[in-house]
Amino acid sequence: MSNKPVKHAQAAAEFLEDDPHRLFHDERLWDMRQKRDQQMHGMPEWQELRDRASRIKEHTLANLPTYLEQFEENARRNGIHVHWARDGAEHNRIVAEIMGKHDAKSLIKSKSMITDECEMREYLEPRGITVTETDLGERIQQLDHQLPSHVVVPAVQKLTGDVAKIFAKYYGTDPNIKDPHELAEAQREAARPVLLSGDTGMTGGNFIVAETGGFVVCTNEGNADLSSNLPNVHIATLGIERLVPRVEDLGVFVRLLSRSALGSPITQYTTHFRGPRKGGEMHVILVDNGRSDRLAMPQFWSSLKCIRCGACMNTCPVYRRSGGQSYGSVYSGPIGAIIDPTFNAKKFSTLPFASTMNGSCSNVCPVEINIHEQIYDWRRVLAEKHDIPFVKREIMKMAGRLLAQPRLYRVSIEGTEVALKTMPRFVLYNYLNPWGKHRELPHPVKETFNSWYRKNRLKTSTKKEHESA
Amino acid sequence: MSARNTILDKLRRNRVPREDDYELPPVKILGDLDKSIERFEKSLQLMGGEVLPQRDGQTIEDVVRARFPNTTSICSAVPEVEGTLKITDLKTHEQSNEVDVMVVRSPFGIAEMGSIFLSEVELFDHLADVHLAQHLVVLLSREELTANMHTAYRERSEFKTAFYGVLMSGPSATADIQGVLIRGAQGVRTLSLIWTS
Repeated sequence: MSNKPVKHAQAAAEFLEDDPHRLFHDERLWDMRQKRDQQMHGMPEWQELRDRASRIKEHTLANLPTYLEQFEENARRNGIHVHWARDGAEHNRIVAEIMGKHDAKSLIKSKSMITDECEMREYLEPRGITVTETDLGERIQQLDHQLPSHVVVPAVQKLTGDVAKIFAKYYGTDPNIKDPHELAEAQREAARPVLLSGDTGMTGGNFIVAETGGFVVCTNEGNADLSSNLPNVHIATLGIERLVPRVEDLGVFVRLLSRSALGSPITQYTTHFRGPRKGGEMHVILVDNGRSDRLAMPQFWSSLKCIRCGACMNTCPVYRRSGGQSYGSVYSGPIGAIIDPTFNAKKFSTLPFASTMNGSCSNVCPVEINIHEQIYDWRRVLAEKHDIPFVKREIMKMAGRLLAQPRLYRVSIEGTEVALKTMPRFVLYNYLNPWGKHRELPHPVKETFNSWYRKNRLKTSTKKEHESA
Repeated sequence: MSARNTILDKLRRNRVPREDDYELPPVKILGDLDKSIERFEKSLQLMGGEVLPQRDGQTIEDVVRARFPNTTSICSAVPEVEGTLKITDLKTHEQSNEVDVMVVRSPFGIAEMGSIFLSEVELFDHLADVHLAQHLVVLLSREELTANMHTAYRERSEFKTAFYGVLMSGPSATADIQGVLIRGAQGVRTLSLIWTS
């Protein structure tokens, strides 16, 4: 993995150049946010559900080793093969080993962020294994050699015409198709034979249940139930933080997940796997890949409560206007900004700055992660580690000194007003002022608040105090 | 040290949140407890499912045939419907892939979501076949409704006994291309429900 910081702002600027894409992206995600609000308003118990979801997750994380062992024991009893992977590389090796034992060459996958995180396709494909994404959005991204743009709707940054072109190239369909129905049908037709002939199926898992040794997969297209049940071998890749203690805890999370994500009450399929089907074989790989390190970070451990609904992305004005690709990571948007630096602080050092700090992400989060506060904390951590660009760092230092001294601040503000009025644009709008790249600087005011206050209020209030004394 | 022990050991030693600070909240039943047929039907229709009316004198087989008048392939997993073949007759996935209409019985439904449950028991271990069919018809007893997700997980033992248990809420769907909702993605194209007593 390259260590160079992701050029988020530059990539976002490129995304913003095309009006149809920019406008659709913004509107589509905002529509998802509004549908989520409608669901929320129909449920008086919404806040209580969020609160319970958060507390269940916090409790589980505080007892994670115990619950993992409980899950493992129950899963084994049900006949599931349980594997553990310290990191992505170990996970990928385990998958290759399982497939090798069966002389298997074709892996049919439903959507799972964690296998993208492990860069599994990149590992398996050179080893002669064909990996086929069967979720429509994820398949579009696979064919286009791109990371998912969004945790729930992976190809949300594309328009119908983009998909028509990709499908024309790989599926031989008409490149001018305008109707998404036709393209979805093309995916169904293309996926069926692959599903029918695949020798290994793979899913992720939204929730793992310690009490039963099972796990739950929430999907809409029906491809996960086909991928997992058609081949004889089903491998499920599960992040260790996905645990809940009891079956009944699922009630809380299933009620929140799709409502927060898409604004639909539930996903079309909510599938509970608890053991291999008759004659089949089931493997579960419990993946750490940085999670145990994150759980040891005082400011950031609670990001592990995340259930990957994407609500924070849909509501974020920066994400909506920059597109998932600009984050250069499997996880984008506000949640990406706080978990990506745990994978690589240098590479993802720019992401915590992709925020206006409006706090909307924290307000919509179904498990009450304080996302915007963690974004702020990451900025501090990265500044201390010098993982932010020179100009930003030096300007912040100057601003810090200025803001700490009221007299100096007042003098410089008055100076700024003069500068805004008199200086030519090339002095005000240059590389030292990225803020001014897409924005006009504020109009200069005739008088600062401080000088107005001194003239009009300070004297009278001192006078009044004097009189009353 | 094995990967398992490395991970567990790291979690034990380094994790910030500690047991005593985060108690597990007791399970609580929340939300609307209405388990009426009306609520279930409204939820099912919202998720893209349909309810097939049974008129006087019509058998369930008649209802299925009236909904799919032109089909030549009805596969049945229920005694109420003869169909053209039984689910237990399906020997290969290629054969299942030719099935047009699949008829199954669900042991219970959830009014909040319009969801029906299916497991290896009702499917006679033909787990993939129900998803390969083009259309699904579900028989559900009016007596077997539960109010919401909380009551479902509390009351239904299937969640602890089934190895495969799917809650289907309407047919397969996608909105992955330009946000257009398409009912009938990769699993069944339609899901219809017939009430039984």
